Amino acid sequence: MLDKRLIDNIITEALSTGGDFAKVFVEDKDVTSIKLLGGKVESSVSGRDYGIGIRIFNGFNSIYAYTNRNDAESLLKIASEAAKAIKETKKEITLNFIEETYNNIHHIRKFPKDIRLVNKISVMREASEAAKNYSKEISQVTVGYLDEDQKILVANSEGKYIEDRRVRSRLFIEAVAANENEMQTGFFGPGAHKGFEFFEQINLKEYGEEAARVAVTMLHADPCPSGKFPVVIDNKFGGVIFHEACGHGLEATSVAKKNSVFADKIGEKVASDIVTAIDDGTIPNHWGSINVDDEGEKTRKNILIENGILKGYMIDKLNGRRMEMEPTGSGRRQSYKYAPTSRMTNTYIAAGKSTPEEIISKTEYGIYAKYMGGGSVNPATGDFNFAVMEGYLIKNGKIDNPVRGATLIGNGPNILHKIDMVGNNLDHGQGMCGSVSGSIPANVGQPMIRVSEITVGGRKGE
Amino acid sequence: MEILNLKDKIFEAGKEMGFDDMEISYVSNKKFNCKVFKDSIDDYSISIEGGISFRGVINNKMGYSYTEKVDETSINLLLKKARENAQVIENDDNEEIFEGSAIYERVDIFSDDYSHVKVEDKLQLLLNFAEEVYKQDERVAQILYNLYEDHESERMIFNTKGLSKIEKSNIGLIYFSILVKDSKDSKSSSILKVTRDFRDFDYKEMAKSVVEDALTLLGAEPVKSKDYSILLKNNAAASLLQTFKDIFSAENVQHGRSLLKNKLGEAIASNQITIIDDPHIKEKMASRSFDSEGVATKKCVIVEEGLLKTYLHNLKTAKKDGVSSTGHGYRNSYKGTITIAPTNLFIDSGDNTYDDLVKSIEEGLIITELQGLHSGANIVSGDFSLAAEGYFVKNGQIEKPVNQITIAGNFYELLKNIEAVGNDIEFTFPSEGYVGSPTLLIKKLAVSG
Repeated sequence: MLDKRLIDNIITEALSTGGDFAKVFVEDKDVTSIKLLGGKVESSVSGRDYGIGIRIFNGFNSIYAYTNRNDAESLLKIASEAAKAIKETKKEITLNFIEETYNNIHHIRKFPKDIRLVNKISVMREASEAAKNYSKEISQVTVGYLDEDQKILVANSEGKYIEDRRVRSRLFIEAVAANENEMQTGFFGPGAHKGFEFFEQINLKEYGEEAARVAVTMLHADPCPSGKFPVVIDNKFGGVIFHEACGHGLEATSVAKKNSVFADKIGEKVASDIVTAIDDGTIPNHWGSINVDDEGEKTRKNILIENGILKGYMIDKLNGRRMEMEPTGSGRRQSYKYAPTSRMTNTYIAAGKSTPEEIISKTEYGIYAKYMGGGSVNPATGDFNFAVMEGYLIKNGKIDNPVRGATLIGNGPNILHKIDMVGNNLDHGQGMCGSVSGSIPANVGQPMIRVSEITVGGRKGE
Repeated sequence: MEILNLKDKIFEAGKEMGFDDMEISYVSNKKFNCKVFKDSIDDYSISIEGGISFRGVINNKMGYSYTEKVDETSINLLLKKARENAQVIENDDNEEIFEGSAIYERVDIFSDDYSHVKVEDKLQLLLNFAEEVYKQDERVAQILYNLYEDHESERMIFNTKGLSKIEKSNIGLIYFSILVKDSKDSKSSSILKVTRDFRDFDYKEMAKSVVEDALTLLGAEPVKSKDYSILLKNNAAASLLQTFKDIFSAENVQHGRSLLKNKLGEAIASNQITIIDDPHIKEKMASRSFDSEGVATKKCVIVEEGLLKTYLHNLKTAKKDGVSSTGHGYRNSYKGTITIAPTNLFIDSGDNTYDDLVKSIEEGLIITELQGLHSGANIVSGDFSLAAEGYFVKNGQIEKPVNQITIAGNFYELLKNIEAVGNDIEFTFPSEGYVGSPTLLIKKLAVSG
């Protein structure tokens, strides 16, 4: 992707002012995105992202430079500009790259570049038609298609030289249901670390119909009541609760500088006994999976919480230095335009013992969140918020009428202790996670869980 | 210059491939940023980047492609991809390459002074800021996040209809987020300043303000759930308007994704509300003299005393509605197609001071911050339910800080329920437009605590 001798020269230049470690990241990515609006192709764009990032460490300090010029002169110039931020004497570092190989665990069968645009579009049509035909109340359907083929190379002053190729495919289905006065939406965004075979493996019709069903259901839903209730959150994208309430606080990004409520808590009880949480980038072909992270570390299965006890964090190289801990294969970034930092891959709460039926039937009154929207968290205080896309009241142990416009707010550390039932139906959902190193594909997951009390914000009042 | 040379080669090769009209836009950006931890700079970053986007008409359809590898080796792929993309377009509203407007207003959005500020001064500013924050109060526990950043960018459009436009701009910003702690509670707050004048970074004033904001929130608690009068502070009001700005886009209206459809000339907001988009304000961050299609920009009154006057248009939506483009054609980068976005969009100032608005509340809440806007607000339905913080007000006096609450309502209804408008307009973080609002007094919203 870039001449090895040039990389060698860049690293040497980057270390010329006393830096103790330097790394080069090369990215070359082909992207296709198509938008289908009301069954017609509205836009189709393809392009090539290409650029090089150079990172230098000096103790705990980090310097990052990037460019998409790829001639030797420009690259050496920017390396030297970046190095100027350090003013020490040059250290003796000998460069000797050793090409690292590994077993690819995310096999791709049909690379996007080999698939004709019309075939990609027919996938979109199938989902779009299913959504449109679901009900007369569906007024608009938008389907987005995305595929990307990202090749990366990481080389560093410790001799690392490793490449990875990530192929991802995703569909975004949004259905709008409308009557005279109102509109509501339903959304589905299935994706995987796979090529075009992904669309042949999933039931497109079902996804389209499900997006439409949510929109229509919400059009006829009452405003959600507000107050403090037990909340049952179903599987798949429901895992966003853990992602927001706890996951971000376990990233070294906030732990290393002790900006997280979970800093210095390894070995302590941070959740109820029935909670075990994991971040695992090795699940074959999952949306958030990678072979090696964006710092060249192999990904692994990291146990974060085991039976309520905090076991570990997600750690990148720089923050690992500050924490005196080893990286965990969690260094990620949106593109060469960002320096990597610790991020989640596929994060989930492990399956428990209760059946979903049992959880609902044991809930006298509360909210059932069938599908969650997104959310956010302040890692310093642990305060989080997230939106319920499709919600229902639970009355007398039964799912009752649908409710809309519900937001759940709370405090991460508190909520973890309030998880009082964990289901046996673990499944995952796909999302894009935004943080300091940009927006990256991440899976969230969980079985159905019940939280004994969360503040629910809705428009109806108590 | 290399890009001009490349442009000619692309147009030449494109013609041979069968394209009629063609256009390239090129955006380049030079960026610097740094962060401080404790008393030293611990993060420092520089970049030089650019990307080229091509679009061209072939068989009456527009095809798009882009590349960040800007050299001759990319020409063939760029054209082939664009042709392939054009072939699948089914939308009947044809996009056009624009030959240019008659007159372009000059907007001065490049500060020569700023471009000469020394790196040492930028680093020192950040260090001073951090030091000043800790000096404010012993309850300041930590700086959670901080950033100094500046950009110099240049955007260009060239097409085969003779359009040739270049605009250069720069911008700088500082952001601090801090945590304060007492024996019982901890609270964070943040401050952002975006400017084109380096002297605007009054770090002493900013440090004082961000620490004060956090300290006054210590001990905050939820309030009883019910409907309250809400004083939505300027920053919070601006972030809400930013979230719902796309309801004014003609594209959303035509696609059935805005409830403002068929509402031109009607009252969609309280008569105290006037909403303006003005691309020609020198100090504002989204100012520009031409839009992403090369159309000259102009000031545009969207809502006048509550009446909806116009939508925001690009060439395609304007043609469909039989009107002229309002100069709001927008692409979020060279990677996107042409959509619509505002420039400097704001609710016009009213007559009331913030203090008078507070005094006018019998019982209600001041909301100083809204969270989770990307998920808790539905721009299609207008519904929102958002985590919020602020203060409880009784008989015109602030009684106590409030947090862990949500406020819920509908944006379309909220516009109609604005009872008074402040004179303290503030803008939020620039992103697809630069959006501002004064403090707004809202009749009532559902609060959950």
